[in-house]
Amino acid sequence: MNDDFENHLRSQPMREVPPHWRSRILSAAQTEPRRPRWLEWLWPAPQAWAVLGAAWVLILAFYLATPDDPASGRSYAMTAESYGALEREQLMMAKLLGSSDEGEAPAAVPVAPKPRSERECKQLAG
Amino acid sequence: MASAPDIERLYDNHAFALFAFLLNLLRHEADVQDVMQEIFVKLTKRPSLLADVRDERGFLLRLGHNLAIDLMRRRGTRERNYEELALQSSALFAESGDPDEQTFRQKLAQALAELPAEQRSVVHLKLWENMTFEAIADALEISPNTAASRYRYGIDKLRERLRPIYDEIQ
Repeated sequence: MNDDFENHLRSQPMREVPPHWRSRILSAAQTEPRRPRWLEWLWPAPQAWAVLGAAWVLILAFYLATPDDPASGRSYAMTAESYGALEREQLMMAKLLGSSDEGEAPAAVPVAPKPRSERECKQLAG
Repeated sequence: MASAPDIERLYDNHAFALFAFLLNLLRHEADVQDVMQEIFVKLTKRPSLLADVRDERGFLLRLGHNLAIDLMRRRGTRERNYEELALQSSALFAESGDPDEQTFRQKLAQALAELPAEQRSVVHLKLWENMTFEAIADALEISPNTAASRYRYGIDKLRERLRPIYDEIQ
């Protein structure tokens, strides 16, 4: 029964394609322009590529539209021009501070080593 | 690969198989024509689609199946009522001069229309395209086991539905 039934179904002929479809479908297909190769390369995810491209354009536009920080620009210029003067100024300040601080610095208080660190030192030495 | 004459060759070699498969799946002649046109437009626009294809028929059936499923989702074909389907089903098979055979074909078309689309696809490819379960699995992007079980379920339903008329004409 199984094979006979399936064979009987298989023997039922399907309808033919309406003959006028051939010219209609083929002419519709042939009037379509062939996609350029570079577009075919993008094809797997054209929207993803478009979004990625748009994101880059936005980033670039944002970068170009943002004004440079004037302070940082000047500081770069100063570094080049008056680095020597700044260094001299810093040296003088250090001397002044050093002379006023002399003798006033508190003596270092000896700190007894903690038992744990002592133990570790002994272990390391041993 | 697919230049203009190739498209014609592809049509001449595979249009019948595509038409029968899509008509069985969609049950709407205008939809079938839309899908077939979309297939051949796609192949013309992107000839590289067929570049590494070994089994043209299997590839075209897969393309047709995917486009048909998309169309069904877009148009809600699954929700079409049964009377409409049954009316359209009568045009699935060639007409027969034998009244018994003609009745059987009409009942078979209706019984096929009652199967879920996934079972109908497998039954069609197995019976009328004579494809193996591996080839069907490849075309429908399912496992061979799923293809085999869908076929078994589908055939059992057809047998149950058509048994009286089948026994009568034997």
